[in-house]
Parts: sequence; structure tokens; C-alpha cells
Amino acid sequence: MRRILLSVLLVVLVCSVGLAQEKVIITLAGHSVDTPLMQDVLARFVVGKIPGVEVVWEPITEDYFAFAMRTLAAGTAPDILYLDVYWAREGAETGALAPLDQYIAQSKILHKEDLIPVLLDAFTFDGNLYAISKDFNSLVIYYNKDMFDAKGVPYPSADDTWLTFLEKIARVHNPPEWYGICLNADAARFLPFAFAAGMPFLKEDGSAPFDLAAAKYAADWFTIFQRLGIGVTSADIGFGWPGAAFVAEKAAVVIEGGWLMPPIRGENPTLNFGAAFLPEVWQGGPRGNYLFTVGYAMPVNPPSGRPDLVFKVIEILTSPEVQEYILKSGHAIPSRKALLGSPFFQQVDPFAQATKTVFEATALPGTVPFAFGAVGGGNYMTPVVEALTLIMQGEATVEEAMNAAAAKLNLALGLK
Amino acid sequence: MRKRSDWASGFIFLLPLLFTLAVAFLYAFVRTVYFSFTDYNLFRITHFVGFDNYVQLFSDPRFMLALTHSLVFAAIVTASQTFFALLLAVVLNQKIRGLTFFRATYYVPCIASSVAITTVFVWLMNRRGTINWLLTAIGRNFPFVALGLAVVIAVQAIQVYWDRRHGLPARALDPVHLGIGLLAATVVTVMLAQFGVVRPYSMAEVAIPWFTTRQAFLGIPLPLLSIMMLNIWTTAPTMMILFLAGLQDVPRELYEVADLDGATPWQKLRYITVPAIRPVMFLVITLGLIGTLQMFDQAAITSGIAPLESVITLAYYVYWSLFGARTLPRVGMASAAALVLAVLTLVVVLLQRRVGFSERGWYS
Repeated sequence: MRRILLSVLLVVLVCSVGLAQEKVIITLAGHSVDTPLMQDVLARFVVGKIPGVEVVWEPITEDYFAFAMRTLAAGTAPDILYLDVYWAREGAETGALAPLDQYIAQSKILHKEDLIPVLLDAFTFDGNLYAISKDFNSLVIYYNKDMFDAKGVPYPSADDTWLTFLEKIARVHNPPEWYGICLNADAARFLPFAFAAGMPFLKEDGSAPFDLAAAKYAADWFTIFQRLGIGVTSADIGFGWPGAAFVAEKAAVVIEGGWLMPPIRGENPTLNFGAAFLPEVWQGGPRGNYLFTVGYAMPVNPPSGRPDLVFKVIEILTSPEVQEYILKSGHAIPSRKALLGSPFFQQVDPFAQATKTVFEATALPGTVPFAFGAVGGGNYMTPVVEALTLIMQGEATVEEAMNAAAAKLNLALGLK
Repeated sequence: MRKRSDWASGFIFLLPLLFTLAVAFLYAFVRTVYFSFTDYNLFRITHFVGFDNYVQLFSDPRFMLALTHSLVFAAIVTASQTFFALLLAVVLNQKIRGLTFFRATYYVPCIASSVAITTVFVWLMNRRGTINWLLTAIGRNFPFVALGLAVVIAVQAIQVYWDRRHGLPARALDPVHLGIGLLAATVVTVMLAQFGVVRPYSMAEVAIPWFTTRQAFLGIPLPLLSIMMLNIWTTAPTMMILFLAGLQDVPRELYEVADLDGATPWQKLRYITVPAIRPVMFLVITLGLIGTLQMFDQAAITSGIAPLESVITLAYYVYWSLFGARTLPRVGMASAAALVLAVLTLVVVLLQRRVGFSERGWYS
């Protein structure tokens, strides 16, 4: 009897070991701020959907670019990693990311035609697609309706020009209760305005454009809020970023993307807010914006050893069901064309309306991907941030600061 | 034979450490030297570039700025933290009430996370933060403080003069007289304030942008100066512990003899304490120099709000070369910069040993 029992136990043990060995662990590493959403999505839509597969979420708190480069070089990258349009070209150039074209060609769920073309282009290099865009975003003006009502100032709107917008900020400014605008010396916020004013990405001779009149005009406008004392930076008033000042109702206006909505929903859900397009340079004139997008990418040799299963997980994560769920939870705008007509956009709820504005802003002329080609985003933006800081603090004139920024970028470009 | 087996067993005991050193230091060092002569980008090496990386490094204004910042930072922070640590240690080496509480309190900044403390400092030092509020309060109330101080000095002078004139041995800072002076100062200041004779100084709110600026004080960027203050505050207590340990070894008899000779506290510190703890001083200064030359985390955290050129140090420059530009990592440049930092650290420590405090003790 004892022998039989032992034999049965042995068989069970061997079987369970065998089963355990068959289980494939697929790691998905993303920004740590995505943890609640991604854990929710994985639990709802992924667990148990692919037999023998367990997807493990790895939140990354360090600089994601550094994490991606380090792990891709060491061959320890997760099965699925985020590829930001900001450094997608560099990601593709590593040669360590797998082109996804062959997988998408065989897929029954995911087809290139289902995705918004500009988001496909953002991750396509030399004819190869390196990531499936998971969502996208653009910049809008967030405004606190209560503050504008209290001061009797009309809300910011799509018809605003740089001048009318400035006037509204001056009128709504009400320190120390709240400040007109919270705006940092941030290149990602400034450059869309500079492009709208006519600044090219680089001059025709390939040199830095920051010393052009258009760039200086934009820098003058962008920094005027601080210089007039009607705007503050988030550091000035003890917040980590402008969005936090908006959520805490210390700023009447901020320029942010759809990523501001989860903090509002989580920390101040009754905030009476609205969203509008970035202002035009002049009435009926140009308007700039950035298209931000992050995609799911896969290394050439994923640690699970099962690229087919890894792609299946990416399929689920970008499926219509998951994307609709993410849209309704107000986290991001999906990358599937079909969802752009979702009834969600028709709701009067401020979150739905703001999401709609963010989405519509991406389709406006003048919206360009948040990418810097071979120049490198750090090389391009650091001199701009330094120039804007100097101007905002009154430590240099627009002329001096922007000329210095141009010289610094030229140096980084190898042009003296 | 026995000697050989001793050697073998000694070597076996050393093996784990030697292995760790060989892998984590020697191998990494040799690779770094090799990479510094190539255009390696973490994924491939396409060219051996000779000394190009070093030439580029020294022609990069950002690197020269980082080098200057690192040297200034190391000199000021090491000197200050050593001074304050010694001062704290001497004070906390006395038999005073609540000694354990004070020792623990002063040590708290060391055990808190550097990231958390930096974040709190950034918050305290924002344009409308506590530090600026405090400076405004001090500035506006300066007339009261000045008046009170003047009354204290006047009352103290009168009392000491009176006592001495009557043959009493009054000290210049006699505590009882000081107490009376403080009481008189409070009464006079409150009365004059009530009658509007003395009024707060009318000045604009202090709004120093401690981090978001390129302003400099004595040539040091304000953001770097802020990091220096933070660094001194967080590191001095660790050094204090080392000094405290060193102070336990100083023979009590020396102080007793000095007391008999009528030595002042300063003379005891200058001629007994400092010479007696020279090896600890060497350790503290050496650790301080290495730590400050390689300061990274606080520069990295504040670079998010401060202009890069105001906070960049050599260690942060190495990181910036790798990941900051958002191009494929420039490992060649970063390796060259890391080696310059290593050589600089070695040279500075050796120089300090030669011209400053060496590890040789007083008794030797």
C-alpha cells in the first residue's frame, strides 16, 4: 500500500514538475506610473487567455531609455518593452529589437490597416516596424473653470491667439490663492510654439535654428508669463511638475497631455476643468503640437525564448477590447482607428471632453512626432531648457540666451 | 613545507576577495580603458579612435564645467564637512545630559535616503519655500534683532564694568549678566515696538531661485551651492561618528594636564585633539574627497529642475555621455571621462596625503 502511495506521489510530482516547466513566463517592463493600470489590464484581459503563459509586470522607476539601452545591450531585456517615439530611432539602430512585420503579417487580430498611420510611421525605420503603438497623446491647455468664472474671464478656447491667451492668463492670475499659469522651462512644451512661429527643426545647412527670429519670438512669448509675474514654475511653488499644481488648484492653467487626467481623477475628481487647443500664433494662423506615443517592442532574443507567444501578448494588449477599456478609464487614447469613433468621445463628462480635445489636437496641421532623428533629443532640448531658464529668471535676454543655445547645439552637432 | 601550506591557505582565504576585485574592478577597469579608445556605443565597436575621445572631452565646454564643479565641490564640501564633523564630535564627546539623544539626532540625516532628503531640500528651497520665507522673516525683523543685540551688549558691558570696578571677577560673557541683558533687551524691544519707535524693515519677499537659476555666488552656481549645503548636512554626521571613535582613544590625562596649565578649549582642540586624531582625520578627508569627487545622485535629481550647466559634475557627465543626449550611448566618451575622474581622484587624494593630513599618528 505504502509503495503504491509513494509511486502515485512520485508520478504526481513528476507531472507537476513537467507542467511547471512548460509554463512560459513573459516579462513586460513599463513605466512604474502605469503599474495600477497594467496590473488591472493583465488581470482582466491576459491572465488565462494564452494557455501555459504567465505575464509578469516589471515596473521601471529609473530613466526608461537608460534601462532599455542597458538591458538590450546586455541581452537581459524583458520580453516586451516600451519604445518611446522620442528615442525609437535609437532603439531600432541598436539592432537588438525584433522587426514585427512578419508577426503582424501572420496575425489574425492585429493588422497594420487597423492602426492609425502616423503611429505606424513613428515606429517604422528602413521599412521595418519595431513597435506597436499602445496609445498616443498631445498637448492641450487645461484650465480651471472655477477660477476663470471667479475672475469673470472667458475660458481659453480654440480661437485664442498667443496675445488673447496671454491676456486671459493676466486676468485670471490671483496670487497667492492661484497663479495664472504654471509653466516650466520645458523644451517639450516650448518647441511646438517655436515650430508654429516658423522655426525649422534645423536650418537648411543643418545647423541649430534657435538663433532664428522665429525661435526668439517664441521664446519671448513662452517666457513672458514668468517675466510679467503672472506665471510660475512648478519648483517655484513646491510641486514636482505643473500638473500637480493644477490638480492642487494652485494654477489656473497648465499645458499638459492626456496623462494629467489620471492624477485629476485620482486626487481631485470633482475639479471643474476644461481643455482647449494650444493657441494660434495669430488669428487663423499656425498652431504647433507634439504627438507623443509609446509602443510595445520585442527584443531579437526574448528571454522567454518564445517570440510567437510574446507577440500574442502584444496582440491582446493592443486588441480593441483592451484599448476600449483603457480609453474609458481615461488613461490614454487608443492607437486603433476603429476606436476613434467610440461613443466615449461624445460624453459631456469633462474627462471625455478633454480626451476628445487631446485626440483632435493630434490631427491638427502642425502636429509633429516628438522625435529628434539622429540629433538626439537630449542634445537638442538641453540648450533650449538652459536658455528658457535664463530668460525666465531674467538672467539673460532672449537674444543672448537663444544665441547661446544655438551655439551649444551646433557644438553637439560637430559644427563650430 | 609548512610555510608553503600557510601561503596556500592564506591565498585560499583571500580568493573570494581577489576574485571579486578581479571581476568587479580589474576587468571593468581594463575594459573601460579599452573602450575609451573606441567609438563603442553599447552595441558595437566600429572604429579604434585613438585619443580622439580624450581630445573631444577636453574641448567640450560642458566637460570643463563639470571638472571645475567637481573640484570646487570636493574642496569646499570636504573642508566644511570635516570641520563641522569635528566640531560636532568634540561637543558630543562631552559628558552632557541627553548625549545619546543628540548623537542619534545628528546621525539621522545619514540614515535617511539621499533621494528623499534631496527631494525635501528641493521643496524647502523652492522660490516660495521655507528657506526664502525664513530669510524674509529675518530681513524684515532685522531692526528688532539689531536693537535687542545692541541692548544686550550695552547692559552686559555696564554690568561687567560695574563688577570689575568693585573688584569682583566678572567674565566678559558672565551667564547671569547675560540673562539680565536678554531680559532687558526683550523689554526694551517690545516697548519700542509697541510705541512704533522701531518698525519692521520694509523689504520685498526674498525669492531666491535656489535651483532654477544660472546665478552664481562667488563664482559657484547657486544650485551647486545648494547641493553643497545639502551634502555637508547629510555627510558630516557620518564623519562625526569616525571622529567620535577617534576621540575615545585620546588619553584623558593630556586634557587634565592642559587644564592644570590653564589651556583654553581652543588650545586643547588645536594642540591635543587634532594632532591626536591625525589618522582619523586622514581617513575622514580621504573618504570625503573620494565621495565628493564622485557625487552623482544629488546632481542627477536636481538636474530635473536646475539647468544642467549649473549642477553638472564629472560623475554626472559620465552618465550624461551615456544616456543624456538620447543618442546611442557614447561609451567611448563616457569611459574617457570616467578614467579622468579616477585619475583625478587618485591625484587629489595623494596630494592631500602629501601636503595635508597623512595617516601617520601623533605617537608615531
